[in-house]
Amino acid sequence: MKNSFDEKILDEAQDWINANQKVVLATVIQTWGSSPRQVGSRMIVNEKGDFSGSVSGGCVESAVVSECLSLIKDNKPCKKIEFKVSNESAWEVGLACGGEIAVYIEQIH
Amino acid sequence: MKIKTLEEILKKKSSKTEFAILTNLENGNSEIYLPGTSPKGEFSKYADEIEKFFKSKKNGVIENSEIFVETYIKPIKVIIVGAVHIAQYLVDFAKSLNFEISIIDPRGYFASEQRFPDIKVINKWPKEAFEEIETNSSTALIALTHDPKIDDPALQYALKNKFYYIGALGSKKTHENRCQRLAEAGFAIDEINSIHGPIGIKLGGKSAPEIALSIIAQLVSETYKK
Repeated sequence: MKNSFDEKILDEAQDWINANQKVVLATVIQTWGSSPRQVGSRMIVNEKGDFSGSVSGGCVESAVVSECLSLIKDNKPCKKIEFKVSNESAWEVGLACGGEIAVYIEQIH
Repeated sequence: MKIKTLEEILKKKSSKTEFAILTNLENGNSEIYLPGTSPKGEFSKYADEIEKFFKSKKNGVIENSEIFVETYIKPIKVIIVGAVHIAQYLVDFAKSLNFEISIIDPRGYFASEQRFPDIKVINKWPKEAFEEIETNSSTALIALTHDPKIDDPALQYALKNKFYYIGALGSKKTHENRCQRLAEAGFAIDEINSIHGPIGIKLGGKSAPEIALSIIAQLVSETYKK
């Protein structure tokens, strides 16, 4: 049953690339405690900040989008980001559920 | 990830091949790995760990490394007998889940391509139809015709081949009669009792999409139990 919903995200990534958009792929690579999305969950972001898919239940998506935009701007290939509930910016991007997740973002080039 | 790798992943997915994506989180390199082969280059020393992830059907970072493994396994095969109205809603629900659906119905006017675009519809009697489908204990059967001529041979095939989920539509009375026929055909009582009949979890609804939802909910639940 795994990889069910996110399977479509990679297809969508290719559609975006075919439409000449810059695409960053975000993947949940580790989780601790209770986190809404399992390891392997995916989201894509383009240079305009449009996104599809998810890496959490809406808790950290906005932060992932801005990280992805920086990656495109600085032209870096990849980055690992960890989100914890105890982050200083917890009110803004923390995980309300108390879990922790690590998200890997990479440019598709 | 390179565009070439993405294209390769999509190709492997559409051909239902089992594979894994290996990613070096430090430098961003990624490779496609096929089970039973040796991982290439920088991933070669993690061969045992990668195989372990594959066997447990899990995704994750290999311990004490910066290597992320994502495995892709084959979807679960679900055979629907009866290209009826409920089947159309089942197909819709199954689209967003990892099920691969085939439909069997010998009645040509039901089993039309126009009613089921993109789905394998076999317009034959179950006995002949099963010759065209590879099945095993990871296959599920949903019998929807409640016509013994069509459902019974399919149910018998599924029982003999130990499908992990077998469900049959019909009222309690219909199901009692069905169980009686299967007993007369020589099936053991625990085999007969493994059939989910009347099919689906109790939601209370009676419309076609509601029945389809109750069936798909039971199927997902049983899939996680197996």
